[in-house]
Amino acid sequence: MSESFFQAIRTSEIAPGGIRAIEINGRQLIICNAGGKFYALSGRCGHMNAPLERGTLDGTILTCPLHCAQFDIRNGEVLSGPVPMNFTSEGEISSPQTRYLGKVAELTERIHTESIATFGVKVEDGWILVAL
Amino acid sequence: MTIHVESRKQALRYFYAKIVEPMGYKFSPDNELVEFILEQEVNSEGKYGIPFCPCQPIRHNRGHDMKIVCPCIPFHRKHFDAMRRCWCGLFVQQDVTDPDSLPQLSAKEMGIE
Repeated sequence: MSESFFQAIRTSEIAPGGIRAIEINGRQLIICNAGGKFYALSGRCGHMNAPLERGTLDGTILTCPLHCAQFDIRNGEVLSGPVPMNFTSEGEISSPQTRYLGKVAELTERIHTESIATFGVKVEDGWILVAL
Repeated sequence: MTIHVESRKQALRYFYAKIVEPMGYKFSPDNELVEFILEQEVNSEGKYGIPFCPCQPIRHNRGHDMKIVCPCIPFHRKHFDAMRRCWCGLFVQQDVTDPDSLPQLSAKEMGIE
């Protein structure tokens, strides 16, 4: 199936280092501006589907806001998985909250982090166009 | 999860440079050593989720272990400044051109503790 380009946002609407959430044809995407170069990716983290527009962009490295998994926005490749939640000291006092978090950590450790989809981008007449 | 080791090493280089340069350090000119240590740190991330210094023991004590998360220079500043390198030699002070000439001595041996 051939891909078509869709208008996303104007280049003036996203500063360098910025991330913008957009929706095209029901697909949740993000547009990233890495030093004036634009990238379009799936808007959901490859770990637990967190909204990546709430994350941070440093160069071409995107960090998820939920568990800090990192992705390369140039190809969507996963660079690192989530940070551990259960890194506690031996003998640390246990509470219902820490036991709950331990349970959550045990479950989330079983979740694989996948690379995220990327989409072609071009700029025309001040608009960022995304290929879907 | 499949982490591409070379990509992650590049990402660590990118982040670490931003942290260590303002402290007066840089990556060692010994690129073979740097590549090897970064690979161990990527392995550490795969195992623990954290890039621990590969040359120091993990004691499973948060207070201790957080002080060996790379780059650990801020936690051992006096010691590393005296050696002009970090413990494993991944980072050296910015004017160092011959990293092999730098001693790797404990803080006690350096008279710091």
